[in-house]
Amino acid sequence: MDCRDIRESISACVDGEASPGEAASVREHLASCGRCRALERQMRAVGEGVRQLRGAVPDRFRQKVFARLESEGVLAKRKKLFPAAWRWTAVPLAAAAALGLFLLTSREAVRGPVPPGPATARVETSVPRAPSPQENGAALSIEDREMLALLDILEDPAAFDANDDAEGVDLLAPGDSADPPDPLRGGRGGA
Amino acid sequence: MRTDEELMRLFRDGSREAFEELFARHHRAVVRFAWRMTGDPSAAEDAAQEIFLRIARAAPTYLPTAKFTTWMYTVARRATLNYLRDTKEDGETVPILAEGEGEDGIYPVQLPGPDDRNPEQVVWEAQLKERFRAALGELPEGHRAAFVLNRGDGLSYAEVAQVLGVTVEAVKTRIFRAREMLLSRLSKDLSA
Repeated sequence: MDCRDIRESISACVDGEASPGEAASVREHLASCGRCRALERQMRAVGEGVRQLRGAVPDRFRQKVFARLESEGVLAKRKKLFPAAWRWTAVPLAAAAALGLFLLTSREAVRGPVPPGPATARVETSVPRAPSPQENGAALSIEDREMLALLDILEDPAAFDANDDAEGVDLLAPGDSADPPDPLRGGRGGA
Repeated sequence: MRTDEELMRLFRDGSREAFEELFARHHRAVVRFAWRMTGDPSAAEDAAQEIFLRIARAAPTYLPTAKFTTWMYTVARRATLNYLRDTKEDGETVPILAEGEGEDGIYPVQLPGPDDRNPEQVVWEAQLKERFRAALGELPEGHRAAFVLNRGDGLSYAEVAQVLGVTVEAVKTRIFRAREMLLSRLSKDLSA
């Protein structure tokens, strides 16, 4: 095959589109023809030249295309996250949310710890506080009074330590005695 | 990942997001094709807009009988052809080679080829690139489209044949002739 006849096949080979028989003929010719080998290089180079012509996407091309498609009615407009109707409710909703948050935090502030005072110092204790005789209004047994006295000591150990003598602490109401009344002595028991 | 054909069907059924995805995937290729065919950035932008408009308009009747890209390039080629006709370019004139020039297939000026540099890393000087662009613009439209679609956009001869509505043999001949004309034109430029 002479050079003139093989050129179109060389072009197809460069593009990877030659049939197997055609490719074999081209390979055979190129093996012995320097001029056609040079031509094959030039054909490849102009193909690469087309690839190098890329151009650039124009600025705001997307916006222009979509605006035109929307104006021609072939593309639906994008749905807004907050349509116009919603905007009228946005401010009152935001205000309600802010008010709710304020009220919540205010209630927490109201419920905050009460500053401790002398009358209430004993309220915060892990030991359950039995009602005082005055609060209860009912007559307490001796055992109950002893329990109350013990609670007082536990809440305020200083009251116990200051006397330094357990026997000196009057745990009993005046006139009472831990012992059964002595019918012979009468009156109060104890020291 | 959804195929182009699925996205086109979704767009046909009313999904704007599907069209946005198609645009994101293919707008660069469309702009490149329009630029290579028209040779002018402003004309390429107008043509590329027109191409997407035609794609969107054709959606209601779109049937995936061919690859989406083949159909897209068909639309693109028609749009650029109309543009070229509107600007009164004679798309079918075949340049006549001067007698004795290029007949043996060897052109006076050697262009860089794969033996000189890696083809994928060929760096064209700005002047040569501009001359190449001008020479490409002088090719008959059918030859230019065949060469650009195959070498520029990677379509096979069979796909190019579908886009242009011709036979594979016709594509093979058009691409070969496009190469000959480009080499002839460039060698004249460079030897001048």
